[in-house]
Amino acid sequence: MSPIDGEPRFWRSLAEREEPETIAESPEFSEPVDPPTSEERRRFLQLSAASVALAGGAGCRWQEDRILPYAERAEGVVPGVPRYFTTAMDVGGEAVGLRVKSYDGRPIKVDGNSAHPDSLGASKHWHQASILELYDPDCASGYSRLEQGERRAATELELKVFLRNLYRTAKPNGGEGLCLLFGASSSPSRSDLLRRLQGKLPRARFFEHEPARQDGVSRGAQLAFGAPTKTHYALDRARIIVSLGADLFGARNDGLRLAREWASRRDPAQPWMNRLYVFESAMSDTGAAADHRVSLRSEHLKALAAHLDAALSSHLPPRPELGPPQPFPESRLLTESTMHEVVAALVQDLTSRPDESVVVAGEDQPAEVHAIVHRINALLGNRGKIVSHTAPAPPSVKTGSLTELGEAMGAGQVKTLVILDSNPVYTAPGDLDFGSLLAKVPTKIVCSLFLDETARYADWHVPMAHYLTAWGDVRASDGSISVQQPLIAPLYGGKSVIEVLALLSRDVHPGGEAIVKRTLRAAVADERAWRRAVHDGVVPGSGWPSVQRSPLPQPVLQLSTGERSGREFENGQLELTLAPDPRLYDGRFANNGWLQELPDSVTKLTWGNALMIGPATGKRLGLKDGKLAKLTLGERSLTVPVLFVPGQGPGAIRLYVGHGRTAAGRVGGQDLGDEQAAPVGVNAYPLVAAQLGFVSNARVEPAPGSAVLATTQDKHSMDRIGRFGTDERLPALVRQANLDEYREHPDFAPHRVHHPPLLSLWKEPVRYDGHKWGMSIDLNKCTGCSGCVVACQSENNIPVVGQERVAMGREMHWIRVDRYFQGDPEQPEAAHQPVPCMHCEHAPCEQVCPVGATLHSSEGLNDMTYNRCIGTRYCSNNCPYKVRRFNYFNFHEDMKEEKNQVKGMVFNPEVTVRFRGVMEKCSYCVQRIQEGKFRAGRENRPLQDGEVTTACQDSCPTQAITFGDINDPRSDIAAKKRDSRDYALLQELNVRPRTTYMARVKNPHPELV
Amino acid sequence: MQPFVFPRWTNKLVPLAGAVLGIAPLYLIGLVWYAASPHTTDVGYAPEQPVPYSHALHAGELGIDCRYCHTTVTEAAHAAVPPTETCMNCHQRIHVRSPKLEPVRASAASGDPVEWVKVHDLPDYAFFNHSVHVNHGIGCTSCHGRVDTMEVVFQHEPLSMGWCLDCHRAPELHLRPPGEVTNMTYEAPAGLSQREHGQELRETFDINPPTDCSTCHR
Repeated sequence: MSPIDGEPRFWRSLAEREEPETIAESPEFSEPVDPPTSEERRRFLQLSAASVALAGGAGCRWQEDRILPYAERAEGVVPGVPRYFTTAMDVGGEAVGLRVKSYDGRPIKVDGNSAHPDSLGASKHWHQASILELYDPDCASGYSRLEQGERRAATELELKVFLRNLYRTAKPNGGEGLCLLFGASSSPSRSDLLRRLQGKLPRARFFEHEPARQDGVSRGAQLAFGAPTKTHYALDRARIIVSLGADLFGARNDGLRLAREWASRRDPAQPWMNRLYVFESAMSDTGAAADHRVSLRSEHLKALAAHLDAALSSHLPPRPELGPPQPFPESRLLTESTMHEVVAALVQDLTSRPDESVVVAGEDQPAEVHAIVHRINALLGNRGKIVSHTAPAPPSVKTGSLTELGEAMGAGQVKTLVILDSNPVYTAPGDLDFGSLLAKVPTKIVCSLFLDETARYADWHVPMAHYLTAWGDVRASDGSISVQQPLIAPLYGGKSVIEVLALLSRDVHPGGEAIVKRTLRAAVADERAWRRAVHDGVVPGSGWPSVQRSPLPQPVLQLSTGERSGREFENGQLELTLAPDPRLYDGRFANNGWLQELPDSVTKLTWGNALMIGPATGKRLGLKDGKLAKLTLGERSLTVPVLFVPGQGPGAIRLYVGHGRTAAGRVGGQDLGDEQAAPVGVNAYPLVAAQLGFVSNARVEPAPGSAVLATTQDKHSMDRIGRFGTDERLPALVRQANLDEYREHPDFAPHRVHHPPLLSLWKEPVRYDGHKWGMSIDLNKCTGCSGCVVACQSENNIPVVGQERVAMGREMHWIRVDRYFQGDPEQPEAAHQPVPCMHCEHAPCEQVCPVGATLHSSEGLNDMTYNRCIGTRYCSNNCPYKVRRFNYFNFHEDMKEEKNQVKGMVFNPEVTVRFRGVMEKCSYCVQRIQEGKFRAGRENRPLQDGEVTTACQDSCPTQAITFGDINDPRSDIAAKKRDSRDYALLQELNVRPRTTYMARVKNPHPELV
Repeated sequence: MQPFVFPRWTNKLVPLAGAVLGIAPLYLIGLVWYAASPHTTDVGYAPEQPVPYSHALHAGELGIDCRYCHTTVTEAAHAAVPPTETCMNCHQRIHVRSPKLEPVRASAASGDPVEWVKVHDLPDYAFFNHSVHVNHGIGCTSCHGRVDTMEVVFQHEPLSMGWCLDCHRAPELHLRPPGEVTNMTYEAPAGLSQREHGQELRETFDINPPTDCSTCHR
């Protein structure tokens, strides 16, 4: 049963690769359930006595339920039948269109809007998780104001009177001393209102602060084209895609679309497959998907861009209008043999099909690099085919930066500061002590979702209406406008940012809907068009105007010593990248348990951050994985836990901001109030100089102590012969070949593992005459983004268990994304493999359940019946794929408190909420299968292919997950199962999994194989 | 090595075990009798409602079809209790001063719901869908009994899992043409037993109710 020699070897973690014997057995089962302390025990006894008394009083009948029908039922409303509404969510100044499922007026699930250009039906983890934020009991509730250091509730009328007086006092001197600070937003209405406010109060000043935004992209476009320009990529037409530090499939707003387009050319059965080159300082989802990936320092990319420009200029027909090319840079890294080979192959690829190639630079790259990359794309001649440009509208008012605001505050010029949807006290760069500056401002008005670090200073606090509860308008990355519509009234009172602006500027329209209608009156002609725009989720033809831009000549890039260097590095000159967290973004999602507990796609770290450092770099600096280190940057330093991560560039370290909040809430950490919670992770904002990005003067030294890092990477490993079989096991789990090998042996995947003839303990053949549900996951398309994990959590009422229990291997996710590395830890390749329940036809779990709580359905589903389960956990022990999850506690116990009852609103009413002591696992979204069958039955027709989708499938940007009825020969799933790449995990066990995988086929340059 | 010898006190266990074995069958019978009794399954449960609404009058005497009020029964999981405005369709002209209708008028005026007490209450882990049953020819009376004779609605059937499965395993005993589901007095055509009639319908409409766990539990 050993794999063929010479197969690529995969490993899950450095510990597994180097010292497999040190990986302890997962404590998931071995540790006892925490014994209650004596006090807890007394309390428990009291409680049980109380419940016995209650039971006696109530008799045998369970609690009396009430039916509350509508007094007047609106037309088209059927109680218990969900309805869907489109809206959009803005994160950091651009928005993705969404479609929200609402159940009896209660939004419960967010998905992508297939008509929206940045969604195409897919959604990211934070879109999915925004539904949890909507019902977060820690959100600020009701208006409040500070009186003699105490926060008191206020009424809306008081706020209105206050704002009216504010306006009246400000009006005579044109708004002198009035300053507004806001986070980035794409809202046309907000721009319009700011312009109107400026007109009324011409001396009011405006400032924008978006901590996660880096200005390299916009300044680079300005350098290259001489005018503000946005660049768009159509990756489905590109054969060669080159990323210079750009995480194409990551946080960027068009990431979902780019991933979809990239994946559309990853089917090896098609005439051609694209080839992705990634040069980056830390493993990203894009890097994991790459055909060629090189770990380097971000500073090296400048020389690489110059080199590409020089090489392409000498190979491609001259374009004098672009100015002189860059000279070949002096760079030690580029002369290294492996790097040299990759770059030579890349240049060969780019010159052979120039107009079908594209180069993209990362957001943290300096403007000059972006300018050179624009020039490279012009040289390649891909404009109109892959690259296109649009001209965004200029800002409606002049906005300053946070630093400028800080200067004005320091100079005492700010009398009244209005902060809208921004948290500068937490996110301000380290130089700026925003909190003490803010304390000096006489009047502070803050509108925010939570009573956060900044809002604590507010003389007046206005709870911000969640985007699902208010009217609004936002733009996609291409400028397309979406109307946001409220799905439910604001749960905690409050107003949207545009409503606050309208009040502040004494606008004739105080309501959100009227404001948005007025702003969009040019684009949306009449009521009919308005209704259509609200219904479809996109205003047609509202994108930025397309422009033809040609790059201007660029000066010769000046390379510093570091930028010319090779792989060598020195402590004190380490390259530290400070980046927004892939899950918590700039920290705004810190109180969201789903996102905190979502394992990072590369490190598999949950709950908190750590200094990510390559193992060789770390060892040279004397650091240890999981121990603390002192990170020094100039005069500031921070103690952080160290996490060795394969694929970090030499001397490149990385730390995510967005952690270590002190006023996020009971999940993300808060240091005031009755229920205090320790911060999760370390706040890295104090290290930020002006903006996020990389700096090259970091020093790291070991520090005493260690930290709890709750990673999931060594948990739930699929063991065939115990954990000592990793070498043989892993290549059989992720099956991979090169395109050439695939073309020669299209059915390589099923033949990767040799096993004796499979005998069955049961009578064969097992037949399924009706539906036969199955799933296929295409490993060639999965980028590991983990959107499916949160989508599943939202659909199936999966609880959050907390850092401690994740560290014990007791996380509850029904689908996990296994991440494997391959090769040298400094230059690894990576692969992602989502693992839901396999719904084995010969399921081993079913054989061992003593109470028949898990049984096979006539359609081949491995059903889990919670009300039968007695929690022996035998099934999980016997599951070779380790996909079963056990409820060690009643994770919804806190909902007994009145304040937390609102959390129950997020539950999907179609799925049982599980109690402690029962096992659970992926059900193939059986509630959706049932609903589909009922619908077809009502309409007296057979179920159509594609009518039933799973939650993970819906969220997937690359459509890597296919689900359907294998018995329908024309279905997508049947075609996938017939494909030569189809293989089953651990097929030699003959458990006949219904979930199978499509083997990975890479498309490396032939000379680099 | 000493052979193991049971201590002397264990001799007392023998008569004790005999006593336990003697009581066990009685206990089992008692348990089954109690668990299946109407007292436990709540057959006959007839809570007092906020409005003394009489199905016997409306559905029986006046002959109003079930779907006049329970409109969603053919398209949704719930056969929704009607909104107040449905009551007011008639009662803004009929019995406009009746004190019994005071909660209905209050609801219509204020917009707050009338709080009815749920009679047929399945556990939260069991998911039942009305539309699929009604559209396949299971009559209202099969589960709810002769509602048209009930002055106060009560639970007519045990609504236990075994009771559900009885019908899922032999639906022909309850099937009728889908157009007759709300007929309170439907009987198989003359000359046919219900079994034969149901079998015919079962074949015509291809009715094979599943008995998988996930049919009702998710």
